[in-house]
Amino acid sequence: MAIIERPSEEVALAPSSVPEVATPSTSYGIFRRPVETTGWKSWLFTIDHKKLGIMYGVVAMFFFIVGGIEALLIRLQLAGPNGTVLSADKYNQMFTMHATTMVFLFVMPMAAAFANYFVPLQIGARDVAFPRINAFGFWAFCFGGIFLNTSWFLGGAADGGWFMYAPNSSVAFSPSNGVDFWGLGLQITGIASLTGAINLIVTVINMRAPGMSLMKMPIFTWMVVVVQFLLLFAMPVITVALFMLMFQRSFDATFFSVEAGADPLLWQHLFWIFGHPEVYIIVLPSFGIVSEILPVFSKKPLFGYPLVVFSGAAIGFVGWGVWAHHMFASGLGPISVAAFSVATMAIAIPTGVKIVNWTMTMWGGKIKFTVPMLYAVGVIVQFTIGGLSGVTHSVAPSDTQQTDTYYIVAHFHYVIFGGAVLGLFAGFYYWWPKMFGKMLSERLGRWNFWLTIIGMNLTFGPMHVVGLQGQPRRMYVWTENRAGEGFFNIGFWNLVASIGSFVLALGVLTFLINVVISHRKGTAKAPLDPWDARSLEWITTSPPKEHNFDRIPTVGHLDEFFHRKYEDRGSGDHHEFHQVATGEEVVANEEAHAESHIHLPSPSYWPILLALSLPIMGYGIIFNLFLLFGGAVLALVSLYGWGLEPHTAGDDEFDPPTGAALEVAAHG
Amino acid sequence: MSHSEDHDRTMSPLTTTTSRLGRMGRRTTLTAIAVTLGSAVLAGCATNAPQDTWKPAGENAQKIQNLQWPVFLTAGVVGVIVMAAIGIIVLRFRDKGQPIPEQTHGKAWLEYMFIAIPAVILAAIAIPTVGLVMALNSTDDTECIINVTGQQWWWEYDYEVSADGTICGFAPSAVEASPIITSGQVVIPANTKVLLRGTSRDVIHSYWIPRLNGKRDMVPGRVHFLRLESDTPGIYAGQCTEFCGLSHANMRMETVVLESGDFQKWLDNELEPYSAPAAGTLAAEGEATFVAQCSRCHQVNGLLDPNKGTLVVSYPDQFVYSGASPNLTNLMGRNTFAGASWDLLTPECRADVWDATPEEFGAKYLAGVTPECLNEIDLREWLRNAPAKKPMYADPTMLDETDGKTRGMPYLGLSEDQIDQLIAYLLERK
Repeated sequence: MAIIERPSEEVALAPSSVPEVATPSTSYGIFRRPVETTGWKSWLFTIDHKKLGIMYGVVAMFFFIVGGIEALLIRLQLAGPNGTVLSADKYNQMFTMHATTMVFLFVMPMAAAFANYFVPLQIGARDVAFPRINAFGFWAFCFGGIFLNTSWFLGGAADGGWFMYAPNSSVAFSPSNGVDFWGLGLQITGIASLTGAINLIVTVINMRAPGMSLMKMPIFTWMVVVVQFLLLFAMPVITVALFMLMFQRSFDATFFSVEAGADPLLWQHLFWIFGHPEVYIIVLPSFGIVSEILPVFSKKPLFGYPLVVFSGAAIGFVGWGVWAHHMFASGLGPISVAAFSVATMAIAIPTGVKIVNWTMTMWGGKIKFTVPMLYAVGVIVQFTIGGLSGVTHSVAPSDTQQTDTYYIVAHFHYVIFGGAVLGLFAGFYYWWPKMFGKMLSERLGRWNFWLTIIGMNLTFGPMHVVGLQGQPRRMYVWTENRAGEGFFNIGFWNLVASIGSFVLALGVLTFLINVVISHRKGTAKAPLDPWDARSLEWITTSPPKEHNFDRIPTVGHLDEFFHRKYEDRGSGDHHEFHQVATGEEVVANEEAHAESHIHLPSPSYWPILLALSLPIMGYGIIFNLFLLFGGAVLALVSLYGWGLEPHTAGDDEFDPPTGAALEVAAHG
Repeated sequence: MSHSEDHDRTMSPLTTTTSRLGRMGRRTTLTAIAVTLGSAVLAGCATNAPQDTWKPAGENAQKIQNLQWPVFLTAGVVGVIVMAAIGIIVLRFRDKGQPIPEQTHGKAWLEYMFIAIPAVILAAIAIPTVGLVMALNSTDDTECIINVTGQQWWWEYDYEVSADGTICGFAPSAVEASPIITSGQVVIPANTKVLLRGTSRDVIHSYWIPRLNGKRDMVPGRVHFLRLESDTPGIYAGQCTEFCGLSHANMRMETVVLESGDFQKWLDNELEPYSAPAAGTLAAEGEATFVAQCSRCHQVNGLLDPNKGTLVVSYPDQFVYSGASPNLTNLMGRNTFAGASWDLLTPECRADVWDATPEEFGAKYLAGVTPECLNEIDLREWLRNAPAKKPMYADPTMLDETDGKTRGMPYLGLSEDQIDQLIAYLLERK
């Protein structure tokens, strides 16, 4: 980033000027602060929330492909009876890493990509509250994900399932280093989530544009805030659990050793107290995206906005009281089971509110079925199926028939793929022109959408059947002896699911092709307001300038941008909206009133160095304690370097040196 | 265009179209319900799906079924309504050049209604759910307790002798009752409220016979209970449903239900004293091989060392990490082996037993494995190299973490002659 806006006094006096940018021409060696605005260093050391958002997206997309390949291998193995594509050992690693990758390295960081990029824009801020911590969070996630996946080449990945139940996770039962990599890798990405959560909460609380009360905040930002609170309280729980696992495995602790008097259910409680809120952490950002998109393409405000906000918050709260529904078969005793069963039914109510409000948003609308809108409608349809199958296993006795079968696999893929992932794709298509100034092709987008929808239903739909026919999860082979005959035989539907997974892969491939094609040289620049959007992130150029807004917008409405473009010419109860300005005109007006003193914090070496120390310490714990100390030294040096570094580069670090440094508020 | 016309066009879609679309919606709904019901019926008709969760064969599973099908139906109907609404929206509210709709932020009464309706539905589901949770956890009506212990990757059953000298209420005809230890298949009397009392020797396993009850995890250091009952003789298949490591997929179990007369016969047979193979037969050679190669881990009750004449007692805790190996006293009385993963019966003989009518089943099951029916292929492969057939941690060079103990059966390096002898010997174990 490194743009420090410092217009000369004369320029500042001219009322309609665009701020002038002072760009440093060279950087000054490694002990001086990085100041590049272009080239690879501008990405490596950036603290710009938009660049970090894009990097989150790129890395998460990479891991999506990795996790997808793992999924395809699993489906190849299960396409027929007694599959031989993978050994039992490799299969167990594959499903463990598929889930871990998709949850921790794709959906969460992809949601973080959108949150990072759009929350500051949606609330009219120039960056997040703690830009360097933001950069640190990204690099911790990136290095943590790479660290986790290096286990494939260092003796095998984790093989205990993403839930990593004790005591199967202890050294005697999982002797490779896979589980160590898993625990430490998640610990590192957990640090990323935690810092990100604090950062975004502080940002949203403190840095909203003038006039933006909480109930005028865009719904996506609202859902992100709820998620950050969930992360803030959920991550410490898994952190504790992972530390216990690390001590159990690396330092002979006995937290989960039955022979030492431990109860293995302790791990399950810790894991699911984290793990259930995690479900909402995964899915709520996409709910936010869908809730942004539906009003735009229906030309109506979100139906029952306060109720959607509160049901989001309610899901956030009640989400803490349902963890044991993952443990209905664990032997909790009837009172606990009954209580958690009823609580789980209760959470269906706020979730149902969302479905109803989305439907009512569209009802009576003037709907344009663009690709982002198709994906948003896809979320409603597919997530409803996942939600309803969820109700069937909130009935605890029924769940004892379904849990740990493919029926559950079907359920949560409809929730996570149908809810979260389709929502993320809706976000890609909706915000792509904003982020990159290019439209993704609608035609290819439709191929992408329909292949994805058909693929996902072919893949996950049959899993309902095989699950109810009694096929358990996590089996590296299935046998014809238990497959049955007739229409609902397990063999046929396993094959259908495997074929479906490749259709789904084709859908994802279409997206990647779409990206490449849309960014070929010579493709037209996207219009400024291609969708006739409603919220604040569109009141600026595409892609936004490094300082986001030339003038911080003052907010008077929930759908501020819409109300700047449209005017109600009706009277009394009669409403009649007429367009009074185009998006271009609104943005031009902002540019014409640009603020003259815009200050942004400067890039820094320290966040990436501090993040780099984490995997080094991780390798140290697994392989050599000296390496651990090396990593710790790097961490200490980085922390001191960070602490002693001013948030904004001094003028003498620029070439040519510029005038007196200008003070910046609210950035650190 | 006058104000009032404009007003009509903005406001009316809800009112003027509901009747027409209402009819259409109802039709769609009805069709969809029919499809749902049709699928449910078809699901019930699927043949030979041994772990079908929708085909209860006992009281406990039946109660679950009675609760779950209305829930599935309700969920299906709600789903159809949502889909129908989306369908109407897609057809009806496309942008056809209509004016910008009213910027309404919601209608309070509608929103409250949409909270109230699901709340009522869920309450109606919650009440019987709580009742059934309690019922399925009650243990005061138990008529028979069987201990079940999971370990990588098989189940052991231990029939206790109750204070009155009976097992499950049955007194042995010829001998005094003593505990019966078996594995793979648990045999229970029909129309008896059986309570499995379960735990694990290593990691968490889960006991699940879908047609008899839901699953229950068996956790090391804890004792959990699971009710089992059936009124129909037959074999009911199940599978371990808590991921338990390498061979989780190969950890199966079966519950065999016998009429009381047949159960009595089974019980008497289990308690019959050991009969050594006739001298000079292949089986007699097999006995010696068994003592030399297998008896450290596998118990055969009453087996005497042919050389020393002393009772042979296995000590698997020295060699196996979980500390137990399957008891082979009546191996050929059950018809699967190695964690119920492979059949001891040839496919034809297996089908004969598994597909038998409830009336004929008992006799066919009690016949055990005859030499003609023995599935030698899988048994030989197993004896040749067990870990190659069923993935297990048995590589002697990689057992640092378990003090050299294997998890599962190691490769024994048996010769083909030894395998012939062992099969002849084992064929008499019933």
